[in-house]
Amino acid sequence: MEVDWTTFALEIINFLILVWILKRFFYQPVLDVIARRRAGIEKEMADAKALEEKAQALERQYENRLDDWEKEREGARTKLTEEISRERAHQMAAVAAAVEAERERNRVLDERHRQELRRTAEEQALAQGAAFSARVLSRLADESLDERIVASMVADLQRLTFAQKQTLATAAAAAGVNMQVVTARPLREAARTQLTAAMAEALQRALPQEYAVDESLIGGVRVSIGPWVLHANLRDDLQFFAGGVRRAP
Amino acid sequence: MENAVVVFHLGPLAITATVVTTWGIMLLLGLAAGFATRRLSLDPGPLQTLLEGIVSAMDNAIRGMLPQRSQMLLPFIGTLWIYVLVANLTGLIPGLSSPTGNLSVTAGLALLVFLSVHWYGVRSEGFAGYLRHYLRPSPILLPFHLISEVSRTVALAVRLFGNVMSLEMAALLVLLVAGLLVPVPLLMLHVVEAVVQAYIFGVLALVYISGAMQSQETVSDSDQEGSS
Repeated sequence: MEVDWTTFALEIINFLILVWILKRFFYQPVLDVIARRRAGIEKEMADAKALEEKAQALERQYENRLDDWEKEREGARTKLTEEISRERAHQMAAVAAAVEAERERNRVLDERHRQELRRTAEEQALAQGAAFSARVLSRLADESLDERIVASMVADLQRLTFAQKQTLATAAAAAGVNMQVVTARPLREAARTQLTAAMAEALQRALPQEYAVDESLIGGVRVSIGPWVLHANLRDDLQFFAGGVRRAP
Repeated sequence: MENAVVVFHLGPLAITATVVTTWGIMLLLGLAAGFATRRLSLDPGPLQTLLEGIVSAMDNAIRGMLPQRSQMLLPFIGTLWIYVLVANLTGLIPGLSSPTGNLSVTAGLALLVFLSVHWYGVRSEGFAGYLRHYLRPSPILLPFHLISEVSRTVALAVRLFGNVMSLEMAALLVLLVAGLLVPVPLLMLHVVEAVVQAYIFGVLALVYISGAMQSQETVSDSDQEGSS
């Protein structure tokens, strides 16, 4: 249990030297490298944090931009919808107008077609009626009917006004004019005489007479004096009748 | 064990085997530290990881008691741990004896701890402020503080010396009595004892120093709380 003071003193010195040696070559280098690594890690952490903040800022910016785009898209969609609605309304109005015009045109065409059909039907009815009447009258017509018609014509000539007579006389006064008399059957002499006398009185002169037979007249007589034609036969009357009915409102 | 063999004389100084062994340990630790730390990099290998682990463990242990002073105390406390551990284990090498089995060595270390307590205490609180802590909580306790200073220093030296010396002595006696391989379990116990005693010595030194600096730490903490 004795203390060797030399050893005691040298041990103190030795330990202090060892403290210096280890501090210089062990603790300080290791602590320095740990500090450098920690600083590097902190720097990387700071950089990572900065990057994270930057990324978050970009994310917020991106989200804001997305919101803006969404708003712009909604606005554009609304505008497009409105334009489509307007265009559709415009197109629908145009189509409706076109349809209405087409419908009006079709209505006019239908009306015209109907009128045409009605007119054709009327004409056919009149033609058929005239044909039927002509067929019936052709059975009933005979010389006595011709004479009665001539008598009726003579009576009409006698009832002509002075002006009418003057007109006929003017036509008959032209050079080369003769009186053509067409009957359905040969006219008997008495009737011819009666007709000639009546015409001479009406024309205030005696024209050369030319008689002909046309069975299509059915019954009665047709007298032509120049441009004037006096109709007193069933066929012309039926035609006048048909024409009169067609022209009647 | 106590009467160390004088290896040679350096002038008036008788250099004992313990001192030579200590120089050997110093040389070994210095060379090992120099080689181990010559190529430190930010991407550590296994050896560097081990070194950083050792330093970080010691730093964390000190930081647990004195969070603000770990950098200042690490060289002294860390060297105590390392030197005492290596010195304790030196006894396992045939032909060598543990320097810590010499009371002169442990007394020197204990004296260094004793002085370092006051050194760090004065650095922390100033001379007058440090001396005032002997009067707290009451000036009546001043003798007890003084007795405590001496007794714990003596206990520090004798504890380490006694444990190491007794283990080596026991191993020697068993070797003499039982034969070559019988002391092996005792030597295994020596390893454990070496680690435990090194840890106890360093932790006690840290506790003593932290006790001396504690009042300054308290003042610093209260200042920080007040400023915040």
